[in-house]
Amino acid sequence: MTSGDLLLQQTINGLSLGSMYALLALGFTLVYGIMELINFSHFNVFMVGSMIAMLILQAFGVVGQETVMTGLPLVGVLVATFAVTMVLCGGIGVGIERYLLRPLRSVKGPAVMITTIGVSYVLFNIVLLTLGTDAKNFPNPLPPILYNIGGAVLRLREILIWVIALGLMGALTFLVRYTKIGRAMRATAQDPDAARMMGVEVDRVVMVAFFLSSALAGASGMIFGLYYNLAKVDIGFAAGLRAFTAAVLGGIGNVPGAMLGGVIIGLIEAMSGQVVGTAWTDVVIFGLLVLVLVFRPAGLLGRIAPNKS
Amino acid sequence: MISRRTTFKVAAAITAASTIGIEAAHAADKVIKVGMSMSFTGADADSAARTASGAILAFEEANAAKTIKGYTFEFIKLDDATATAGQYDPAQAATNARKMVSDKAIVAALGPQMSGAGKAMAPILSAGNLATITPSSTNPDITDPKFAAQYKPNGKAIYFRTVATDAFQGPNMANFMADKLKVKTIFILDDSGAYGVGIADAFQGQIEKKGVKVLGRDRLDPKAADYAAILTKIKALNPDALYYGGVNQAGVKLMKQSYDIMPKMIKAGGDGIYGGDTLKGAGFPAVDGWYVTNASPHVTEDPKASKFTTAFKKRFDVFPIDYSATCYVGAQVIIAAAKKVVDSGKEPTRDAIRDAIGGIKLADSLIGPVSFDENGDVTNKVISVFQVKQDKSKPLDDPDSQFKYDGVAPAA
Amino acid sequence: MVSSAIAYVSRPFMALAPEKRHALSLVVLALVLLAFPMLHDNDADIDTAANALSYATLALGLNIVVGFAGLLDLGYAAFFAIGAYYYGIFTSFQVMPIWHDWWAPFQALGFVEKLNQGGPDLVHFTLSFWIALPTAAVVSAFFGVLFGAPTLRLRGDYLAIVTLGFGEIVPIVARNIDSVTNGAAGLNGIQAPKLLGYNFGIDAMPYYYVGLVLVALLIFVSTRLRDSRIGRAWMALREDETAASAMGINLVRFKLLAFAIGAAFAGMTGVYFVAKLQTATPEMFNFNVSSMLLVMVVLGGMGSVWGVVVGAVLLQLMQTWFLPQLSEWLHMLGSLLGNETLRNVDMVQWTQLLFGIILIGMMLFRRDGLIPATRKVPLLNFAAQHAEIRRGGFANLENIPRWNPGTGNALEIRDVTVKFGGLVALNAINITLPAGGVVAVIGPNGSGKSTLFNVITGLVEAQSGSIKSYGVELLGLLPHQILELGVARTFQNIRLFPNLSVLENVLIGQHARLSSGPFASVLHTPHNRAEEARALTWVSNILAMFGNRLTPRAAQAVGGLSYANRRRVEIARALASRPKILLLDEPTAGMNPAETLELAEQIKSLHDLGLTILIIEHKLDVVTKLADHVIVLDHGDKIAEGTPDVVRRNEQVLTAYLGRAARAAIQETANVG
Repeated sequence: MTSGDLLLQQTINGLSLGSMYALLALGFTLVYGIMELINFSHFNVFMVGSMIAMLILQAFGVVGQETVMTGLPLVGVLVATFAVTMVLCGGIGVGIERYLLRPLRSVKGPAVMITTIGVSYVLFNIVLLTLGTDAKNFPNPLPPILYNIGGAVLRLREILIWVIALGLMGALTFLVRYTKIGRAMRATAQDPDAARMMGVEVDRVVMVAFFLSSALAGASGMIFGLYYNLAKVDIGFAAGLRAFTAAVLGGIGNVPGAMLGGVIIGLIEAMSGQVVGTAWTDVVIFGLLVLVLVFRPAGLLGRIAPNKS
Repeated sequence: MISRRTTFKVAAAITAASTIGIEAAHAADKVIKVGMSMSFTGADADSAARTASGAILAFEEANAAKTIKGYTFEFIKLDDATATAGQYDPAQAATNARKMVSDKAIVAALGPQMSGAGKAMAPILSAGNLATITPSSTNPDITDPKFAAQYKPNGKAIYFRTVATDAFQGPNMANFMADKLKVKTIFILDDSGAYGVGIADAFQGQIEKKGVKVLGRDRLDPKAADYAAILTKIKALNPDALYYGGVNQAGVKLMKQSYDIMPKMIKAGGDGIYGGDTLKGAGFPAVDGWYVTNASPHVTEDPKASKFTTAFKKRFDVFPIDYSATCYVGAQVIIAAAKKVVDSGKEPTRDAIRDAIGGIKLADSLIGPVSFDENGDVTNKVISVFQVKQDKSKPLDDPDSQFKYDGVAPAA
Repeated sequence: MVSSAIAYVSRPFMALAPEKRHALSLVVLALVLLAFPMLHDNDADIDTAANALSYATLALGLNIVVGFAGLLDLGYAAFFAIGAYYYGIFTSFQVMPIWHDWWAPFQALGFVEKLNQGGPDLVHFTLSFWIALPTAAVVSAFFGVLFGAPTLRLRGDYLAIVTLGFGEIVPIVARNIDSVTNGAAGLNGIQAPKLLGYNFGIDAMPYYYVGLVLVALLIFVSTRLRDSRIGRAWMALREDETAASAMGINLVRFKLLAFAIGAAFAGMTGVYFVAKLQTATPEMFNFNVSSMLLVMVVLGGMGSVWGVVVGAVLLQLMQTWFLPQLSEWLHMLGSLLGNETLRNVDMVQWTQLLFGIILIGMMLFRRDGLIPATRKVPLLNFAAQHAEIRRGGFANLENIPRWNPGTGNALEIRDVTVKFGGLVALNAINITLPAGGVVAVIGPNGSGKSTLFNVITGLVEAQSGSIKSYGVELLGLLPHQILELGVARTFQNIRLFPNLSVLENVLIGQHARLSSGPFASVLHTPHNRAEEARALTWVSNILAMFGNRLTPRAAQAVGGLSYANRRRVEIARALASRPKILLLDEPTAGMNPAETLELAEQIKSLHDLGLTILIIEHKLDVVTKLADHVIVLDHGDKIAEGTPDVVRRNEQVLTAYLGRAARAAIQETANVG
């Protein structure tokens, strides 16, 4: 492998990782943008998403990496699994919001955030008690196609992940920019009181934000499974933390910022694994985050919020 | 209102007449109570449950067979994980050690799983004269005579292991890879855990002595998902082999991803990635070709192992892990020690059992012959090497048929 | 029956004066806690209690950062780790350099031992626990400042993620530098404390007592800090950073102080914790610990000293004692009832699930914390409490010394230009405020009036120009430095500290005139006591100036006051800083005519007392009544100035201020008249 190939390969690695972080970061950013809430339950909604996807794929008869599908059956199974996983995760998100967070809406301070920590514990332990902590061989129907680009290797599943991530991000951007509910979301993010006075149903906006955020977490949970062929109860924390970092890096509350942040964190992770070693990856990621925030406190794409008076 | 003190006594009195998870004892039987402090909640909950189940099986078998006339075995589970730590918590392990020491009915213990917990427990257990047998904590410090003042202030060994310390598995495998596999260059990874770092360090020390060039050493974050970056780096360095010190948590992810990135490289690890869970988690073809070691001699055509696996699966509805076996044997050691004490006409007290454990010799256990040196370490230091070779005619997660015995790793 | 018995017993108790009741409860609590290990001779339970105590000390430290200063810290365990590894490394067998004679003096002091394990003599560090405890506080405080420094410019949630980052980095470093920390395997042989030849060893009881002393000490320190100048400054910056800095609080200094003191608490706890455990592994300090500590603080009541102690102890005992015990009780019950399921139920695995459910439940139903924060409100004297309502100018001025306005120009603003992006908010403005004068600034909305105040008080930067107060350049100074020079202000849209009482708000105005540091505040040095007493007298005099408007409400949170009273509190707060120049930004906005008149009278009496005043005001009658000189701004330009009468007749002013149509109407009226 030449060093050029190596760079290319690490870029491919970083982009795949980054797409996953970006989807997860979008979920953090959506909820944060509207409620200024750091939603810790997001970590484990993501994990639950990968478990749900695993169970659905198993129900389709996919076993490990041995059931290879092609053509229409493959597309059908993937689309169906994505759809059901996203809807179920979205439902979990809506349930969390409706029954556990809404009663706390008017409470200032970190009480709501702490509730999400509690929810995170509950989700984690429900999965732990029902499915166990062992690593599960995630059923993957993708054919093992790969392309050689010089010395670097690009796999079908990497292309698929990029396409899905880009598609979901595009759909979300469209939704936020050009639809009625998107306008309502942006208005609520700017000023909930004013939005309410202008006739925006804030409850509905928050619910939609939670649905989208959790559905994206579900999708990235499934992508995680397809990419690593693995599902495990403890995957939420590390991935969630990096995605959250990505959201902040890009400017929390900012949709393109979350995508950019995700990709950057993915690339940093790949490059620091190459250069300084994985033992120090977290130190590199968080060190860089501190530097960025010191020099650009609102994140890369964030605006410095005017002091609310 | 009942005070805590009385509750404690009432509880003791009642549990004395009942057993947990074991058929009701004969009213006349006296109880030999064993404490088990492991991480039953949090990140390691599953392996703790299956490790402890090994002991439960052994006690149930002993009770059913009435191995010791007039006595029934009973155990109490104590969780050393806390929500605060999210996993094993040495402070809670220390509390559990005190709890076992203050419960006079407990005469022996099994656990802990983690060396970090062991370091917090050992001084307390030593002061309380309570012997414990650890099925899985392999950090050599605790039984190192250098730290005797710290970990056995009472002088006598109380921390016994049915698992070889890192000091043997790593170096022996290093010899095997240098001599038999003719490896010239290698890259070494560990999983940040006490076990993984220890075994990888020991491996690295020996393989450097053998003149093999170590192209690099790195550490995986077991909670992270993506090892593609480091594996791509390794691929570019193109060593003859990859050695991984660690357990399944990072191990199965490593197996999957290293198969994608460098399917043909020689890859090896320790007993942390030996077992049905590894096969199930990593799956074929990723796991195919990996070399692993196990800290016991391999007895060919030995029906014991499959008998144990069958019994375990039947009783608990899951496959045993490697530590289920070491814990099973640990419990057998306690049973044998108690039997020896009772047979000699004495009461099975803590002191008596502790002394007896030191002299126990199990000639033919599930993990080979078991006896202990004066520090509490298992004397059997034979390291067997296996390689995964897919056998499609057998269940793909059955370790007995998928791991092929490849000989003994030469001692360092 | 029972309730009447309780009532019978509690009646004499309830009859006591509140302070005595408080003191008696404390004594009883202390006795119970001291006697606990003797009454309950169970080493494991004592150990559990000792662990809970160490979490209580951690929660107290985090409460300083999060509860008092409002800085959301998600990586607090980092400082716990630093203290732990500091003591661990200097007492364990991990780092053992080769012996050299220059170690001898340290050996004589008992810091090191000479050790021989075969081979050359080695140095074994044997730092005393009692020395490590305070020095760990210093070491951790240093790291607190180091980690806090980059976060100073960040708002709440960014702060959270950066602290979280440091919280992740510290254990990773501890894991990766094996040669110093023994990495994941954990340190060996951390030394137990010794006291007067008695080795604590592994007996839980002495640790319990040390933990108890530590908790008592930190409760004491926390309470003293909370009720001091420092605590007030923290709470002010928690409530409103801008207003806090405009009231003379050095944000950088007090944020870092909060980080440092919080870290110091954690560092001490780290020493205590690993001395008890005699080992330390990186896993003991992960994110889980930080988040759980935050839970303890929130559950107990943010900013509530006793609350966070109760929160920590309760949460810790719940998971380490109650829930594990529960399964034993269930087994017991099962045996009694002969219920096989109950007898075999394995509750242990459910601990964390239950824990999560309880956490959610507590947040849903008791979100202000178990013991919501209350603060001691200093008492006012009798006269102050019985001040009468009086309309007109200020009352009770006999207690207020006259200001000496001095000579020269109180403010000299030369060619000041402020731009926001492309928008020119102030365009080469020149204003002179003579000492002892009253100058009014008028102008339509958006004309740059508030920007003028903001640039004078350092809240916005000027692109060019100069602002001198009595010859001292203000541009480039920070808001708190400007206040220290004697320039105090109010805000157009009232920026009080809503959750603090009237008295506390006004006391914060005194901040810059007091000097007690953390040590003086904790120890109540004579200087500190004299200073606090002086501050209180001054503040009650200021409150008394407003007659009966504020004094009876001194203990109320300002959030609940009427609009006019909040304006008054804001003026009182500015006055409390003993300014030479008072900047009032639309002080009568939102007041009815009677209140406006009253306030105008009061401002006049302030002027009579010798204060120099710059006032922004819309109500022209007020301006006419008060000001010697009026400045008119429009779109950032000064379009006119002069005496009120002159300005009133200026056509340009009328156009700018009222618009052409209105001006035409006025002229028409004038013509008709």
